Amino acid sequence: MNKQDTKGVLVYIETAGGAPVKVSEEILEPARQIAAKSGSDVTAVVIGENIGDAAAQIAEKGADTVIAIDSPDYKDYNLDAYADVLRQVIDDVKPEAVLIGATQDGKDIAPKLAAAFDSASASDVVGIDFDDDGNIIWTMPAYSGNILYDAVIEEARPQIGTIRSGTFKKLEEAPKGSVESRDIKAADDVIKAVIRDSVKEMAESVNLEEAEIIVSGGRGMGTKENFQQVVDLAQLLGGVVGATRPAIEDGWIPRNHQVGQSGKIVAPKLYIACGISGATQHLTGIVNSDYIVAINKDEDAPIFEVANIGIVGDVNKVLPVMFEEIKKIKEEA
Amino acid sequence: MNILLCAKQVPDDAVEVSMGADGKPAIDKIDKVVNAFDTYALEMAARFKEAAGEGEITVLCVGPDDAKNGLKNCLAVGGDYAYLASDEAFEGSDMQGIASILKDAIRKIEADKGIAFDIVCTGKEATDMALGQGGILLADKLGTGVITNVIAFDTDENGVSAKQETEEGYRTVAADLPVVLTISKPDYDPRFPKIKAKLAARKKPIEAVAADALSDEGKAAAGEGNAKLKILRSYEPPKKESGVKIQEESDEDSALAAVKMMTEAKVL
Ligand SMILES: Cc1cc2nc3c(=O)[nH]c(=O)nc-3n(C[C@H](O)[C@H](O)[C@H](O)COP(=O)(O)OP(=O)(O)OC[C@H]3O[C@@H](n4cnc5c(N)ncnc54)[C@H](O)[C@@H]3O)c2cc1C
Repeated sequence: MNKQDTKGVLVYIETAGGAPVKVSEEILEPARQIAAKSGSDVTAVVIGENIGDAAAQIAEKGADTVIAIDSPDYKDYNLDAYADVLRQVIDDVKPEAVLIGATQDGKDIAPKLAAAFDSASASDVVGIDFDDDGNIIWTMPAYSGNILYDAVIEEARPQIGTIRSGTFKKLEEAPKGSVESRDIKAADDVIKAVIRDSVKEMAESVNLEEAEIIVSGGRGMGTKENFQQVVDLAQLLGGVVGATRPAIEDGWIPRNHQVGQSGKIVAPKLYIACGISGATQHLTGIVNSDYIVAINKDEDAPIFEVANIGIVGDVNKVLPVMFEEIKKIKEEA
Repeated sequence: MNILLCAKQVPDDAVEVSMGADGKPAIDKIDKVVNAFDTYALEMAARFKEAAGEGEITVLCVGPDDAKNGLKNCLAVGGDYAYLASDEAFEGSDMQGIASILKDAIRKIEADKGIAFDIVCTGKEATDMALGQGGILLADKLGTGVITNVIAFDTDENGVSAKQETEEGYRTVAADLPVVLTISKPDYDPRFPKIKAKLAARKKPIEAVAADALSDEGKAAAGEGNAKLKILRSYEPPKKESGVKIQEESDEDSALAAVKMMTEAKVL
């Protein structure tokens, strides 16, 4: 698309169980920033079946127009179909920028759209700013978050960005927008992969991203039985259980508890790391925590470099005492 | 079954990268390894080939000359043939550029050998830039289907069926061949090379693909000048400061001291 022909911001709203996922609401905030800069509008797109409520909700949360594409055809997510529907909406709306939450599916849709428009996509964006010409500056992590870099997409349009969850906050106040239903069919020949079956393995959903307290365990917990102490402390504190990749691979806890580069990026008020070394792939997921307590028997463990309190000791001796002491305090309060 | 693996060489992901004096990430002194997710892809392809009892795995890398080491390592753990697409004209390419180079290189290898690849696989992302776009852009250019975040796959007369990891479980996704698969971490680790395989790999040739293999479309996409996404600057994020370390006489005392501090900090 020609840069001169594009205007406004398009936001793709991903839904789960009929409701917008958290990051989809968050991305309305940078969308409004970009729209304000160019004096334009925010258009949100919701695709699915029975997504009327989600669309109405988004119209209250920062979109000027919500395009609702509600059809049994889109009951189940399909990358090829959803991306083609978005392509058609983008062809019509001609936005300067497209924002998508950096969920697993969102990160697949973005390069699909970049390919369709011969444009470019910024991945896992953790901040936006503007240069003197009003171009969006996208900030992205590299090398497991050890480095950040700023990039611009000067000419290619629409420019696309997938935004990492937790980067922006949902808007507290927003102009009221309108919902517009559209009937858009994915082109017949675009569907090249079909989902035959979708299985929810993890019984409970784990909300690490919104948790205020997280107690996480790593390989240093030693056994599945010992890992239970992590679960118990999380429960006592009303928090959520996190884990490192090895703890998950050893089958101590399901995969949706993973924190880090290939897991969840978290930002709790309190993060307690038990028997975790502090590999960069894990640290990148926890550095935005307000307060980190680490228990590790190795006084040189890298986790201590980011910990507010570092307890050098055997986690299996420290945790039981901590549990009892905190329980006592809770009971007294 | 002809399998092509796109593999990239990256700085060892176990090393913390910091900024160099030249304003660029200081990666020159860090050992280079094959991108972890590409090694998972190679292992999955090698197991698939072994189970089928037939097939060949060709490894293709776009990168500088020293990426030959990574390709040799791939040849020692399952790769049969290796190609390095290296040219000054490729330097500074963005992901669209890399995908175009890969596509043209794949077409050239297919033409030279008189074969067609059935499965093109690659890691779901690289551990350096972690864009997670390569496989999807490449599938678009090849005109094939793509299945991302794959942790297992198999083929039958209908094509490929893959287990796609999701945040809460998995999906079974089917597609025709040829197909592009992007591979996530399965619940096994890549094999270590045996000495014999290592020695044999050292003797195998690494074929070169240069800029003359590029189509017009490839020429228009490759290289820094054609990159649509331009990097302005890199920097280190602000570091979290470390606080206090507690190591009392006994672990029990340390625990009590820690809880006291946590209470004072009002974080409980
Ligand atoms: C591509 C890629 C992606 C990855 N993504 C992630 C990710 O998302 N999340 C993640 O966590 N990892 C990830 N990893 C793995 C990561 O590199 C580390 O291997 C992992 O985080 C280490 O987990 P750990 O700290 O539990 O184990 P280890 O590194 O083995 O550390 C165990 C720690 O426990 C301590 N310890 C042992 N016994 C005791 C005891 N009795 N008391 C107290 N301390 C004890 C040890 O001193 C040690 O520091 C990824 C790796 C790669 C290559």
